[in-house]
Order: sequence, then C-alpha cells, then structure tokens
Amino acid sequence: MTPEDLLGRLDAQLSFRRRIAYAAVAFAGLAGSALIGVLWATEPHLPARTQVSFGVLVVIGAAWAIFGGWAVTRRTPLFARDRVVASWLGLAAWMVFAVGALLLAPSVPGWLIVVGCAMGVTAAANLAVALRARAALLRRRAELAE
Amino acid sequence: MSDELIVVRCQLGERDAFPELVRHWHGRVERYVGRMLGRADDDVVQEVWLAVVKGLPRLRQPDRFGPWLFAIARRAVMNRLRDAYASPEPLPVEDGPDEAAAVVDRELVAGALSALPPREREVLLLFHLEDLSLDTCAQICAVPVGTVKSRLNRGRRLLREELLRKGYEG
Repeated sequence: MTPEDLLGRLDAQLSFRRRIAYAAVAFAGLAGSALIGVLWATEPHLPARTQVSFGVLVVIGAAWAIFGGWAVTRRTPLFARDRVVASWLGLAAWMVFAVGALLLAPSVPGWLIVVGCAMGVTAAANLAVALRARAALLRRRAELAE
Repeated sequence: MSDELIVVRCQLGERDAFPELVRHWHGRVERYVGRMLGRADDDVVQEVWLAVVKGLPRLRQPDRFGPWLFAIARRAVMNRLRDAYASPEPLPVEDGPDEAAAVVDRELVAGALSALPPREREVLLLFHLEDLSLDTCAQICAVPVGTVKSRLNRGRRLLREELLRKGYEG
C-alpha cells in the first residue's frame, strides 16, 4: 500500500468540511432543541398533543446534538483550526438561541436568563480556549520554522 | 523540515501537513507491522493511521511523535497477536557476555525475526531496526528499561539459535 492509497482510505477522516458539518449539526440540534424547550416551558396550558410534539422535537434536536458531539470527539477529531471554527459556530448558535428565546418567551423568567447566560459564558470560554490553543501551536510552528 | 514541525502543522489543521507526515512515516509503520505479523497487513496499517488521526489533536508532546506512533502500532499488532502475547513471559536470564550481539545484523535480523516470540521480536525490531533508544523502547512497550534489556538479551540469544538452526555460521 502506497502512502497515497492510505491517504485515500483516510479521506473521510481528513475532510475539513465533514468535521465542520458535524459540529454545525451538533450546534443546530442543540439550539433548536433548546428553543423548543423554552417555548414548551414558557407557554402555559398547552394541549397534550402539542406537549408530546414538543417533546419529540426536543428529543430529535438532542439526538442530532449527541450525534454531532460523538462524531467530532470519536470519529473525526477537530484540529486547532477546526476547533476555532466550531467554537464560533457554537457562539453563533448561542446567539440564535438567545435572540429566539427573547422573541418566543412572552415574559422572560429569571431561570431562563440564568440558563441563557450560563450557555453564553460556556460558548465564549470555549472560543477563548480554542483561540489560545491555536495561538500556542502557531507560536511553536514559528519557533520551529526559524 | 523536522518531524515536530510537521506534527505541529497537522495539529493546526493544515491541509498539506498530514500527507507529508504519512509519506515520512508510512514505510516504517508498514515495515514494523509486516515484520511483527510476519506478513504485510494493510488493514492493520490503516488502523494505526486512523488512530493517529484521531489522537493527533490530543498529542501533548509533538516532539515525541515517533514513540507515540510506535506505541499505537504496537497496540494494533497486539490486538492481532493477542494469543501470542498472552503466553507467560520466560524468567529473565543472567546478563552474561553478550556474544550474540556480534551476530546482530539488520538483514539477518529481519529474516529470522518471524520465528521469535512477539515480545522479543518487538524489542529487537524497535532497538536494532528502528534505531530507537532503550528508554524509547521501554516507553513504547510500557515496561521498565531493565525488562527491555532482558528481552533484548533473550531475543538476541533466540535469534542466534534461530540463525544457527538456519545454517548461519557465527
């Protein structure tokens, strides 16, 4: 087997688009699921059928989030650049959730503000860690290239 | 370009770095797997590189890529030779004058290795054919340096016996 044959076999694992697609799917599932959850929790007196529908949608969103999370941790790992892109996607997903929650919830309850802020802080911290890790590798690359 | 630089570029996610890493190390991985298993096995080699792709973002010491890669290759080989590794290891022999070391020659080692038990085969491969240090061999095999030395001694003795059996005159 030549190196080129081997690289062909590893093509799926080495695809940048695929890795970012998995991360995007995870965040879309998470944001969608969280928004439906907010709607469900803040809408009083929903009929049973609607509650079941919301429950199913939350589960579907969570399933996509779990699948995407599994894929980027176990199947196609995120390299430093991918982690930065994925972290920006995470922050964007949080913003979608935050704006959506403000629009959907008639009166924003206190617990929702706490949950929303906690998610935002987590997304921002994740981005900071990713940027720092990439910067450290860039510094090391520059040192080695000298 | 140094190995560490290629590894760091891979960890950054640079598109052309991983093919470079594969081209640089593929031959050694293929040779190690082939000599440990006694035959070429593309699936095991692919398994090794798949594990490298998955583990590379978490590799904390890019300058230790070689030992890390061989440790992965060793695990993949162990999975194939599980029965052979499961057999009890013989007691260490006294370190005497190492006459057998004189007959250790790259090509001869390569030819006769397949008859040796896997533990002895792997240290001979790593130490003599891959030119890795005792410390690195110990790290890859996850055993103390003393164990590597005793395996090397036993391996050389077994190798000499094998070579003599095949008609090689020391």
